[in-house]
Amino acid sequence: MRAGSEMTGPVALTLAGISKRFGATLALRPLELEVPAGRILALLGPSGCGKTTTLRVIAGFEVPDSGAVLLGGRDVTELPPNRRGLGMVFQNYSLFPHMSVAENVAFGLRMRRLPRAERDARVQEMLEVVRLPGYGDRYAHQLSGGQQQRVALARALITRPAVLLLDEPLGALDKALREGMQFELRELQRRFGITTILVTHDQEEALTMSDSIAVMSAGEVVQTGTPREVYERPRTRFVAEFLGTANVFAATVTGAAPGGWAVRLDGADAAAALATPEPPQPGRRILFAVRPERLRIQPAGAGIPATVRDAVFRGSYLVHELAVPGLAAPVFVYGQAGAADAPPGAAVGLAWRAEDAVPLADPP
Amino acid sequence: MRRRRPDPVAIALGAFVLLFAVFILAPIVIVVVASFSAENFIAFPITRTSFRWYWRIVEYRPFLDSLITSVELAFASAAIGAAIAVPAALALGRARGPVVTPVTTFLLAPISIPAVVLGFALLYFLSALAFGVSFRSLLVAHSVVAIPYVFRTVLSVYRALPASLEESAAILGAGRWQVLWFVTLPLVRPGLFAGCLFAVLISLDNLPLSFFFGTAQTNTLPVVVLSYMQNQFDPSIAAISTVQMAIAVAVLLVTERMYGLRRLNAL
Amino acid sequence: MSARRPHRAAPLLWLAPALAFLALFFVAPLGGNLLRSLTEGQAQDDAAFYYAKLLTDEYYLSVMWETIRVSLITTLICLAVGYPVALFLVRHAGRWHGVLLFLLVAPLLTSIIMRTFGWRVLLARRGLLSNTLLDLGLIARPLDLLNDPVSVFVGLVHVLVPFMVLSIAAVLQGIDRRLEESARVLGASRLRAFLSVTLPLSVEGMATGAILVFMLTNGSFVTMLLLGGGKVVTMPLLIYQQFTMTQDLAFASAMGNVLLLAALACLALQVGMLRRRGMA
Repeated sequence: MRAGSEMTGPVALTLAGISKRFGATLALRPLELEVPAGRILALLGPSGCGKTTTLRVIAGFEVPDSGAVLLGGRDVTELPPNRRGLGMVFQNYSLFPHMSVAENVAFGLRMRRLPRAERDARVQEMLEVVRLPGYGDRYAHQLSGGQQQRVALARALITRPAVLLLDEPLGALDKALREGMQFELRELQRRFGITTILVTHDQEEALTMSDSIAVMSAGEVVQTGTPREVYERPRTRFVAEFLGTANVFAATVTGAAPGGWAVRLDGADAAAALATPEPPQPGRRILFAVRPERLRIQPAGAGIPATVRDAVFRGSYLVHELAVPGLAAPVFVYGQAGAADAPPGAAVGLAWRAEDAVPLADPP
Repeated sequence: MRRRRPDPVAIALGAFVLLFAVFILAPIVIVVVASFSAENFIAFPITRTSFRWYWRIVEYRPFLDSLITSVELAFASAAIGAAIAVPAALALGRARGPVVTPVTTFLLAPISIPAVVLGFALLYFLSALAFGVSFRSLLVAHSVVAIPYVFRTVLSVYRALPASLEESAAILGAGRWQVLWFVTLPLVRPGLFAGCLFAVLISLDNLPLSFFFGTAQTNTLPVVVLSYMQNQFDPSIAAISTVQMAIAVAVLLVTERMYGLRRLNAL
Repeated sequence: MSARRPHRAAPLLWLAPALAFLALFFVAPLGGNLLRSLTEGQAQDDAAFYYAKLLTDEYYLSVMWETIRVSLITTLICLAVGYPVALFLVRHAGRWHGVLLFLLVAPLLTSIIMRTFGWRVLLARRGLLSNTLLDLGLIARPLDLLNDPVSVFVGLVHVLVPFMVLSIAAVLQGIDRRLEESARVLGASRLRAFLSVTLPLSVEGMATGAILVFMLTNGSFVTMLLLGGGKVVTMPLLIYQQFTMTQDLAFASAMGNVLLLAALACLALQVGMLRRRGMA
């Protein structure tokens, strides 16, 4: 299922109708995916959604039951992994423990029968690029996690693959290291201009590192788009809630409003507006989502009446939990710490801009 | 860690283990010492020392011949066992499904069968096949026993290797044989040598299996020593046993040196 | 999360040489053995002749019982001796760990003949043990253990206890010490904590070791041949004697099959245990 806008431009990789079954489990429903050339695409989803299976199908480690994998227009579905000209970095880096760093990095070139002198020269070059000059004689166990990852990248990139595959590359690193590596990876990708597919379950990583995100759930792609698009205009409740916190409301369309629909919240006696290009269908019941940071707390009287249940200080921001009469679930509002915060028990008004409310495709 | 009051349980256990160590070492030490006796009979403690019983090994042809036969047999059967077991272990190492357990059990079965039964059965089977009572028959028998030892350790080491290592090699352009040559086999080598070590040591001492294949020309050391022992009970038995042990220790040290067996928990 | 079937470097076909070799040189001979026991010698007229003889004749029944008895006793002794050693190895050995481990594996470097020979010297009437005890005044007359069945058990335990120790140690290794410590914090005495926590958790190691030792004892005959003055006659020894003295091959085959059956039963137990552990 393809939805949302993709980047325009040449397509490096296409997955057409890929399905895969393991025993009784359907890991991939017929899947469609287009990966734009020269960009980083993140396959994002919870564990079990099929993202790693998809990556392995692209790599050639899994043969799909149906469908085709097209690399630069060429059908490679029947080709074994060693003939696809791809690069891959595994979650645990998989550096060959019995070979030195230089030998690891040179491996791909050795398989391509490059003469030794040229190999060595390119290895040295590559080690400089990943900022590990002179590390050629060390062994994997002598390196830190971050260094191992850089060697793994050097090893994958040295063969100038058409597409680079990354399987949860930052999972094993601690927080501080992770942020540094996120930027380094983007740097490398920009420098080589190489099409990259990144598999992750970490939404923050996907948002930070990728040019486009394909959100996956239960074996299919639920939405694709730029990080901004997927975050600000999620198509389904799943996407809205996976990419951050979302307040989801049930409502009935009452009519048109400037730029969208006027709705009445179910349960609460309150009116609101949503922005959407589609024509309104009065009487239709829908779900819509608003991000906590887009909600505003106003003095009582303006906006939807609500009471503050709790206020939690989170360092860089403040979380208010509001109870709206008639609604079962609490509403969360993120605000700047230091802004006038409303104490628990206070009566306030809840408001948002129409363009921050996104209708969801799920049935209410 | 601060040292507190000595732990009575640890001390008691330690004392027990000390006695245990004496128990384990006593017969071995006695034999080694007795081999240097100058007397004509076994006596312990020894009064005078001499190397004469070691010379006996060279003088008494059956000792020397059978020692050579045993060593050749041990290494040859380990090699054959390895050639057969390694591909099997690699094939089974990444296999899933109901076929794995029965096949593994089957390949490990020869060490669970009493060697007497197997030796006896093989004797008649091989003579029916006109293999004869010869080195060839011995080789077949010892190879059958060598296979499980090598299979077990190689399988264990291979299973512990992350599959992603071979996958990395593949995606870097290595074909099946290249993956095996550059990645799989080098990493599986400690298992191979541990298994072969076991096979060699077991073969050197395998009396029940070799017993049935003895002839004047081909006999293994344990069989020769056993029959010698039943007629003459003198220190040459101690001497030849000590030499056999020295060979085994040498094999162990060489293998350990080359392949760092200490890292293997698969033992 | 990874896919179910990893990329395979070696095809299943590579199992073929091993399967073929063992089918030909392992299964077929044993099959021939079975056949021989049912069709040759006096079984030509009555297929079950030898088995009937084994199961009805008092002498043979006693030998079979003796085989099991010796294996059981050896197993129990190995358990009693081996457990404390394993406990020490895993919990208290510290820097002696390597030495102790080597000590356990070292006997494999010596031949069984060497070891039984050593015991003969030690346990003989004028042997080291007897003389030492005489000198210490602990006994009045020389002790001839060599002709006593005890020497057989000494020899067997000497060979087999390392297997027991290693089996138990492997399982003890995986038992978290903190479990016992938790029990002690809750008020249990040290002994109680051990008995209620560690011992039950190590049963698997004890069972693995026990099956192994039982199986190996079942197949031993050199020890019984050289120690105990021939007083301990078990099945393998009988087969050996049958072969060297009477040449009644079909009978020897039948005896071998009975022994084989016992071994297969143990093997089945082992597989059952592995399966329970989820490792099969």
